[in-house]
Amino acid sequence: MNTSVKPRLVIFQCQFNHYSEADIKSLEALETARVKLVQVPCAGRISPLFILNAVQGGVDGIIISGCVPGKCHFKEGNLGARRQLDAFRELLIYLGLEPQRLRFAWLDPADRGRLVEEAEKLISAVCLLGPATRLVTRTSSASKAA
Amino acid sequence: MVNALNASLRKEASRILQENLVDVVIGFQAGSLPMTAQPAFVRRAGMAGILINSGFGATNLALYLTRRRHRSERIGLVCRGCESRAVRVLTGERQHVREALYLIGIPCKGIIDRRRIEAEAGPHVLSAEEIDAEVVVTTRSGEYRFLRSEVLHGACRQCRFPHPVGVDITVGELPRERADSLQEGGALSAAEAGTFIGKEPCGFESLTADERYAEFTRRAERCIRCYACRQACPMCYCTQCFVDSTTPRWTESTVGRAGAQAWHIMRAFHQTGRCVGCGACERACPMGIKMRALTDKLNRDMERSYGFVPGKEEIHEPPFAAFSMDDANRFGR
Repeated sequence: MNTSVKPRLVIFQCQFNHYSEADIKSLEALETARVKLVQVPCAGRISPLFILNAVQGGVDGIIISGCVPGKCHFKEGNLGARRQLDAFRELLIYLGLEPQRLRFAWLDPADRGRLVEEAEKLISAVCLLGPATRLVTRTSSASKAA
Repeated sequence: MVNALNASLRKEASRILQENLVDVVIGFQAGSLPMTAQPAFVRRAGMAGILINSGFGATNLALYLTRRRHRSERIGLVCRGCESRAVRVLTGERQHVREALYLIGIPCKGIIDRRRIEAEAGPHVLSAEEIDAEVVVTTRSGEYRFLRSEVLHGACRQCRFPHPVGVDITVGELPRERADSLQEGGALSAAEAGTFIGKEPCGFESLTADERYAEFTRRAERCIRCYACRQACPMCYCTQCFVDSTTPRWTESTVGRAGAQAWHIMRAFHQTGRCVGCGACERACPMGIKMRALTDKLNRDMERSYGFVPGKEEIHEPPFAAFSMDDANRFGR
């Protein structure tokens, strides 16, 4: 992997997962990747179109983060999301996406710091894989900047 | 045998129109070209004579349930297996009221893929007749005889549920289970795949990830964004399709890689838990794109993960709506 180009990550995160300032600060402080955090009101709002858009745009890794079953602020949004987004991930993998590029993090309030852990795991995984190529159909000049 | 079936069908259609049980009977009539049958909309009992049962009826007639102007119209629908299952999904999704439908079940021996016939007999077919287990085709250069089982459409060859379900009446005799139906994955043997037009493999199962993406790219490249697949699908009834959204613009509408891939991925995904595997999309595609690879995969996933087959049960409980706390152990952390 060309180490002068940092991997681009996108994290779709439920707004109620922001349990600690420390989590957010650590994400911003990550030097090994460029992370874009997209907050949604609930994981149930995450449409497969968001994920597809990121994948087609050449993002190297994606984390989908929502609340564990039972902790959803809107009661069941996370449950619907789990089934639908899992099925969508399977379809993308079937079409060639590397499974390591798309992961889920279902967080509990006790899981402070877990999001950064997941981000770091994702970074190591995508560094092994190299820049995203499969299903990438749009490239922008931003992705070429270090 | 076919004529007796036509007679029973016409008699029943005539009866329900006469008795004012329905406002229209939707079935097939003879097509204007050989090897085609076109949808028929019969409003008067006297016109029921145009209805035929045809192996060349490539349309999934259930699509008309959501294309009619008056939702309160009472419809008599002639149903094969896939159409009856599509009706269950549509009524389950509240797109039509079951009480306003009168379903006439007919036996199905599978839909004949006319492109397979043309691949061998050439494009100038003058007539085609279904005679028992054969399809006899006359062209300018002579006669061709095909075994029906060899020229069935791919979706029909792997169909596990050809018998109409949940219908009000069945005309004709239901055939015994087709012995040549394939295993669940629907993957064809190399020999069978080789007989397809363009010699394409039908599925992705045996390929590596790189090969799968390359194959998907190759297929999607042919897409001209005509949306015939969408128009042919009973489940595609959204008044605004996601491709027509401009803010945000999810897919480019030009004939290009990004838009075409997004179109196929998302259209297939919108069918998850809804697709009855009829193959009308493939039959409608003017470019011959083998798009069932995607919906078949999703159908397999729904069956494996949730034991769900669209339209198989009388009560329609879509897996994406049937989530529960029991899922807590299902997907990992």
